Amino acid sequence: MFGALHGPEGTPPGVLADVAREFSPRIEIDTPRDVLLDLSGLTRLFGDARTIAEHMRRTAADRGVRVRVAIAGTRTAARLLVRHRAGLTVVEPGTEAATLAALPIALLTAIHPDAVNSQLPPLDHARGGLSDSRRPTPNSQDGRPPRRHRGTEKNVRDPIEQLSTLRRWGLRTLGDLAALPSDEVASRLGHDGTEWQRLARGEDPRPLVPAVPEERFEQSLELEWPIEEIEPLSFVLGRLMEPLSAHLEQRDRGAAVLHVRLDLVKTAGVARDVFERSLQLPFPIRDARTLRTLALLDLESHPPPAAIDRVTVAVDPTPARIVQWSLLSRALPSPEHISTLMARLQALMGETRCGSPVVVDSWQPGVFAMKPFAPSDTSLSHDGRQPQRHREHRGKNISVPSVPLWLTAVPSSPMPVVALRRFRHPVPVRVQAEHGRPSSLMSMRRGLSGGRVESCAGPWRTSGGWWEPEPWDRDEWDVALTGGVTYRLLRERNTNRWLLEGVFD
Amino acid sequence: MTNPAVAVLQSALRARKLDRTLTDALPTLERADPSSLAPMDVASIDACLHGGLPRGQLSELSGPCSSGRTTLLLQFMAAATRRGEIAAYVDTFDRLDVASAAAAGVDLDRLLWIRGQSVIGDHKPRSHGGAEENNQESPCLRVSVVRDRALDRALKALNLVLQAGGFGIVAIDLADAPPRELRQIPFTTWPRVQRAIEGRDTACVLLTEEPLARSAGGLTLSLAGRSTWAGDSIRSRRLLGADVSVRVVSPRKRIDGNVVITTRCSH
Repeated sequence: MFGALHGPEGTPPGVLADVAREFSPRIEIDTPRDVLLDLSGLTRLFGDARTIAEHMRRTAADRGVRVRVAIAGTRTAARLLVRHRAGLTVVEPGTEAATLAALPIALLTAIHPDAVNSQLPPLDHARGGLSDSRRPTPNSQDGRPPRRHRGTEKNVRDPIEQLSTLRRWGLRTLGDLAALPSDEVASRLGHDGTEWQRLARGEDPRPLVPAVPEERFEQSLELEWPIEEIEPLSFVLGRLMEPLSAHLEQRDRGAAVLHVRLDLVKTAGVARDVFERSLQLPFPIRDARTLRTLALLDLESHPPPAAIDRVTVAVDPTPARIVQWSLLSRALPSPEHISTLMARLQALMGETRCGSPVVVDSWQPGVFAMKPFAPSDTSLSHDGRQPQRHREHRGKNISVPSVPLWLTAVPSSPMPVVALRRFRHPVPVRVQAEHGRPSSLMSMRRGLSGGRVESCAGPWRTSGGWWEPEPWDRDEWDVALTGGVTYRLLRERNTNRWLLEGVFD
Repeated sequence: MTNPAVAVLQSALRARKLDRTLTDALPTLERADPSSLAPMDVASIDACLHGGLPRGQLSELSGPCSSGRTTLLLQFMAAATRRGEIAAYVDTFDRLDVASAAAAGVDLDRLLWIRGQSVIGDHKPRSHGGAEENNQESPCLRVSVVRDRALDRALKALNLVLQAGGFGIVAIDLADAPPRELRQIPFTTWPRVQRAIEGRDTACVLLTEEPLARSAGGLTLSLAGRSTWAGDSIRSRRLLGADVSVRVVSPRKRIDGNVVITTRCSH
């Protein structure tokens, strides 16, 4: 037994689905104004079909929507009837064809899949068709993928044209079409003709496809006593994360973003009574301990301004990772370990002071960028250079976080490259110059030795960034002092100051 | 013939990993296994080290300014990242030049860079500035406090990275820390670091001016460098690189030797 709900124009989206879910978990959202539901087994709970229909109508009225309700043995019959008749309609099982026989044939355009998906104007009501207010809307609004079109635009027009053909044959009601011999209809209209005829008889072309409700991965806990310290919050978060993690595992999902919402006790000096933090996770994570640690470390860095009386944890789900390990490979740390480590390091050193360095495409000396440390789950190819171990498979991220152990014989560099130890803020020094070249250097800082310049090379002039607030324009020198230390020295041309940029080491 | 009771006792200690606390029961370092070594990919040094620096041990690169410490460290990390390992660099005073690291061949995606606070040596006190030296708010004191804090954080960060595991190379840069502040580090720090990496694939490297940890299982590479120049005339002169003398010091004299390598400038 199936029921159909049809709402008036302007029905808020989701209301009919909510009403239907109060009666059955198996519902199909046809359009925002049309919902079908499987009523099998509900007679023990609510009574007979008419009682169920009255219940549904009353529930919808409580939500401010006046709906039509039809109950029949098939979904097609219920859909046709709810489109045609106002109020409550209940058809006894087995009498669908007889009940539908008197209905106008143009009703089929309201439920035929191809006709619903086509954007053509429906037949006008005066000729037995539907008015604009009853025009079916495309099915994609309910979140499901649109139904399959079977061909080109010409083929999409076919259902309307075929219906016109039926009307030219003199068929005015569904009963007229249902009474025709099926083989004759098939020989003239093909497979589509038999589909029209099955609909006219109230037969379902396919089983009901239940709509899966949007799952929320959220846990909340009301505290009996407010928490003022972060440490006791650890136990609360642990208690919330365990079922959340189990839920994610059950659905094969991982957390992409972790939201922590703390309802605070109102105090005089604090206007905001809700404290929210969101953590963007570099990898899908569902390990309860890792999530708890990350949330705690973040709250330690950003403590709430008042005591907490309610804790809510929610995650944005994403498909989980599939990790394939190998006996022949060296394992890298798991993303959970890396995420926890990075959170701890950022809490210790500062959020912007940990990560992977990035070379910036610029001539400005010393410029660099930072990015989150996320070593790709890639390996080296056999030439030891090109990583290629990352692939997508059925929408899931499959990675092989390993390095083949046989790749030990990598080509060694012929000669090490001299490194510069860079002073992030160049150090002012006193320089004596002879003939424009530095001859001796004196520093006022401990640890930076001065002395006579033994060898020097330069100057190399660089400038740039004149369009920015801090341009650079300078002469660079490499100088070796008699003590053996080799510096990168620079002279700012606009201020004529001498600065140490770094030491070669 | 060995006393069976002593053998049983030593076996029990070894099972509980307590044998390394007994100097006479230290097991021989199995350097024949290539997987227990982390090569630098510098042929002469690797030959001198019999394959590379030992994994699961704390080693040191020590030497004065411009001795080639950072060059060798970046070379070491470049070799590790080329093998697909990940490396961590605890940069106590924020001295890493990213361009140098890239030029050395370090795969930056596989490098975890932990930047401390950039502190450069405090101002030298004036000879007649006694009042300034005693002033609690003097810049010298402030720099010293900041440097102490940076040192403390760097050691904590090193501990976190080692505890996390999975890194092929973990290096901490203490080259610019004054000796006075290095001496204030508790002497238990380095045995604890050694203990944290024992039995793991991680090679921990300490970058210092003077040998500091002197780990029993690790190696100390004492470096001395001299810059080399090209060009006869003043105008054509340019920095060519450096000749770096490496002296390998092993606490148990198992590996000793000297080697000189030549480095080059990237420009």
